[in-house]
Amino acid sequence: MAGVLAIEAKGLFKSFDGKPAVRGIDVAVPEGSIYGILGPNGAGKTTTLRMLLGIIDPDEGHRTLLGHARPLEAAKVVGYLPEERGLYPAMTTREAIAFMGALRGLPLEIGRKRAEILLRENGLGDYVDKPIKSLSKGMAQTIQLFGTIVHKPKLVVLDEPFSGLDAINQGRLEHLIREEAAAGTTVIFSTHVISHAERLCERIAIIAGGRIRFEGLVAEARDRLRPQVRLRTRNGDGGWRAALPAGAAPINGHWEFELPDGGVEPLLKALIDGGAGIEELSIERPGLHDAFVAIAGEAAAREMEQSARSDAGAAA
Amino acid sequence: MMSLFEAAWVIARRDFVATVYSRSFILFLVIPLVVFGVVLVTSQMAEEAQRSASRPVVAVVADTATSQAVVASAARLGAGLPRNALPVLRVVDPAENVPVQARRLLADEAAGYSAVFSGTLERPVLTAPSKVEDAVARPMQLIVDDARRAGALDGAQVELEPMALHRDIIAAAAGNLQMIRRDLARGAMGVIFGISILLATLMLSNLAEEKSNKVIEVLAAAVPLEAVFLGKLFAMFAISFVGLAVWGGMLAIAYAFVQVIQDWVTLPDTGPAAGWPAFVLLVLIYYSTNYMLLGALFLGIGAQASNIRDIQTLSMPVTMLQVVVFLLAMSAVASDSAALAWTAYILPFSSPLAMVGYAAQYGELWPHLAAIVWQALWVVVIIRASSRLFRTTVLKSAPGSAFFSLGALFRPAKAK
Repeated sequence: MAGVLAIEAKGLFKSFDGKPAVRGIDVAVPEGSIYGILGPNGAGKTTTLRMLLGIIDPDEGHRTLLGHARPLEAAKVVGYLPEERGLYPAMTTREAIAFMGALRGLPLEIGRKRAEILLRENGLGDYVDKPIKSLSKGMAQTIQLFGTIVHKPKLVVLDEPFSGLDAINQGRLEHLIREEAAAGTTVIFSTHVISHAERLCERIAIIAGGRIRFEGLVAEARDRLRPQVRLRTRNGDGGWRAALPAGAAPINGHWEFELPDGGVEPLLKALIDGGAGIEELSIERPGLHDAFVAIAGEAAAREMEQSARSDAGAAA
Repeated sequence: MMSLFEAAWVIARRDFVATVYSRSFILFLVIPLVVFGVVLVTSQMAEEAQRSASRPVVAVVADTATSQAVVASAARLGAGLPRNALPVLRVVDPAENVPVQARRLLADEAAGYSAVFSGTLERPVLTAPSKVEDAVARPMQLIVDDARRAGALDGAQVELEPMALHRDIIAAAAGNLQMIRRDLARGAMGVIFGISILLATLMLSNLAEEKSNKVIEVLAAAVPLEAVFLGKLFAMFAISFVGLAVWGGMLAIAYAFVQVIQDWVTLPDTGPAAGWPAFVLLVLIYYSTNYMLLGALFLGIGAQASNIRDIQTLSMPVTMLQVVVFLLAMSAVASDSAALAWTAYILPFSSPLAMVGYAAQYGELWPHLAAIVWQALWVVVIIRASSRLFRTTVLKSAPGSAFFSLGALFRPAKAK
């Protein structure tokens, strides 16, 4: 892989009370990229992120964070939004953001000014002096996100950042992540909603059962599956049938099969020459969801969908 | 990366501001004063009640002349003796059979007599159970002797004028000095113990709240866990000094007010053996080490708990143990046993309190240096042990810091 790595981890292993939580995690996150860690609840995403950040130590393996073997040494240029959001209820929004910046070495006065700017720019100017306990859950989550980026980190780590947000706030968060990446910040986030990763990420890691099942570009994950061809013909039978690949199956009046190795042109030629009478032919590139099912298995995909559904229910 | 102390400063500043500007801080300031006031008033009342209740009542069953002589003598002696030194005398008309009357009077629960005096000054009789010997028999003997002397002098027509005692006043007497210094030692120990327990409990609830707010992970991701511990310890320490300043100021105002209204309170003109400046400094130092030891211990316990109920369950035995340690230090003040005193000086949790007692009673200063170094070592050990306890049970393990690397000698090396 080309380029400098913001995070590199090899063979991370962690168990709690004798039960393995993650087993041999390898991750490589290029600087300036948006990187997603996908997996159902309990797959080991949070444990992986905590190990990468040095909140917990791995039992085996090693990791570097922005070139530091001890992740806390890079704390000043790292922002972290944990899955379980934590804010002091009595603090005002401005103080909460400034305090989170101060934890990362940002002087309080500068933190307060930046907090005000962040709040006003995002339409929350009226809440500058409001205590956290008076905010809605989604709003408090936004405040914590501002606290994560107030010190202008080089690396932002977000654990399930979309969890608990409504559709509008999810869109805002996606926008913010893109803005951060455009400014050169590396963003790594975990999610069990595939569509977020598909829209945002260049690279992903798919975790299931504490193991990495795939690590690489989103396009590479998709390329693990061949494009699907959907064909509808006027003629039900004829010589053109010989052009169909072995796995072709008739479904509701049309044929579905993987695009053959030779590509679409030889296939088209054979169908036309064989007198198929093509009414409709479409080639669908597989989505990340299909790739996820193929890589992590049907059961993991079902768990992901369940998690996403319950999450959407909670946000509503 | 921020240094450990920079990070601890950020945590301490937040905790300090959040606590001092909270409503619970007002309670923290007021409650000890209320408790102090209530304890003072109730102890005075209890003492008074105890005095009255413990003063025996004696029925004087005798002829009029004897009764008058005995009562007059008791009044004369009572004026010169401490209050309650003599029993209460009640004159009862004698019946025909005085021994029977005496037993009946002593059996009457409503009357509440402890003894019955009968007979004459030449042939006095005291009817009483043997256990009231000291409380009744000796003072009654004194009264009868005095009454007889007065009668003899009257008979001889001799009149003695009371002779005023010439008083030669000096600064101090060794016996008084020792008593005052013991009281001083006990008072200082009690105050240090009380405030430390109060603060440690306050810190525990603070930590439990932080854990329930899930803030702890945000902190642990940004700064070493030791910084979180130190920050919390020092924040509460600073808060305690705000409290001490407020309480001290209020006591000074109250004292000045009382002195202006009436000269009610007199301060002893003798001080601690180490001298007032050294004593005050040592009290502050031992208060600090005592608080650090207790605070760190309670933080370690707080790390195991996730709510207030857990904290109460976990901290109860530790508080009980601390009370035992406090009693050990208190008993070392008055004890003649060198072994008991040394135990109190050496045990880490009793050492600060016992050394306060030492400073009040003895003038040597060098043992304090050794004690402070010893206690400081234990402060580091307890903080380190507590933070490790926290990591292993709550965050499962986080990287340490150079400040505590000395303690790493005690743990086995881990392959990474």
